[in-house]
Amino acid sequence: MSDDNNIEQKVNHTKEYSIFQIAINLTVACFVSGAIIAGTYFVTAPIAVKKAAELKTEAMKSLVSDAQKFIPVKNKTDWFTAEKDGKIVGYVVPAESKGYAGAIKMLVSVTPEGKIIDFDILESKETPGLGDNAGKDPFKSQFKGKKADDLEVVKDKTKENNIQAMTGATISSVAVTKGIKEAVEQVKQFVGGKK
Amino acid sequence: MREIWNIFKKGIFAENPIFVLALSLCPALAVTSTSINSLTMGLSVMFVITANNTIVSITRKVVNPKVRVPVYITSVATIVTVVQLVLQAYAPLLYKALGIYLALIVVFAIILARAEVFASKNKVVPSFFDGLGMGTGFALALLCIGVIRELFGTGAIFGIQVLGSWYNPALIMILPPGAFILIGYMVAGFKMLTEHAEKVKLERGEV
Repeated sequence: MSDDNNIEQKVNHTKEYSIFQIAINLTVACFVSGAIIAGTYFVTAPIAVKKAAELKTEAMKSLVSDAQKFIPVKNKTDWFTAEKDGKIVGYVVPAESKGYAGAIKMLVSVTPEGKIIDFDILESKETPGLGDNAGKDPFKSQFKGKKADDLEVVKDKTKENNIQAMTGATISSVAVTKGIKEAVEQVKQFVGGKK
Repeated sequence: MREIWNIFKKGIFAENPIFVLALSLCPALAVTSTSINSLTMGLSVMFVITANNTIVSITRKVVNPKVRVPVYITSVATIVTVVQLVLQAYAPLLYKALGIYLALIVVFAIILARAEVFASKNKVVPSFFDGLGMGTGFALALLCIGVIRELFGTGAIFGIQVLGSWYNPALIMILPPGAFILIGYMVAGFKMLTEHAEKVKLERGEV
């Protein structure tokens, strides 16, 4: 591998370069690189922002399927109410919890009565194939229609009212459940405070 | 044409980045717990290494040999950043799935190694195919590891359950130690295959 490869290099090395030439060479390379990245960013940044907003609305749509529009809640960052025919059918709130490997960020949709409609994991570093199954069925579908009091992780299959832990990922199961429970309780408090 | 094919082929078998050169083993451990992760990572690396080889080869006459390594790194970083920005704008879901892995490609040993060993000393077309071959070899190796780990670790391939409920998944295959053990066996197996192939060649008197 090395013999024929070295020939061209040796030819290059016989030349002497001043430190100035070398510095200029690297500077030019970095400048070109910077210009390319800046140019790409200039083109893609507005599209990326638009896409991110679209994606967010879509994510909320999938959480509250019968909602017609989403309105930001005053005084609460990233809280949204899902409305249908002018009536509030649900709240979409962010939830966060500490999992097996760093924070798990979620989006939870809750009815005004405090029942879970659905949830979605936005960001997590849980072990692929184990903890990250929290965002998939059958673990995910357990939450539908449950109230805050039911949200307890168990390993007993007979307790159908509670949440069954995922095999090999108890920490992730508990973390996700805890985050959702907190979100539901916050919504209950918020709705209760308004009445 | 034959020469090009040989350059392309050596990345897949004779100088396979994972199984023979043993370069970039870290990502081979970290991202191969599921088939789909392995495949996306392999394809991303394939693209970056091919693009970088081409650029390094085009600029090989103007880059000062004393600063060549920083220039190569700059080149890889530029390609990866551009890919990130484009993905973020046009395929945000894919971007989210690739997450941190995409940025990691910048420091992959295999990419810098190919720029240094091959692209900086060869013409554009051979460099392009060297990158493509190495990238393909890398992607295939990752895919093999990913499929086996997912199959034994969860009983599924690409998320589709293939083994029945009788199968009790071996969690260790999904966790990092499983990857270490598996890669060890695969390197050994690959070595046995190549040795066998050489013996056959020798017997036929081709060498």
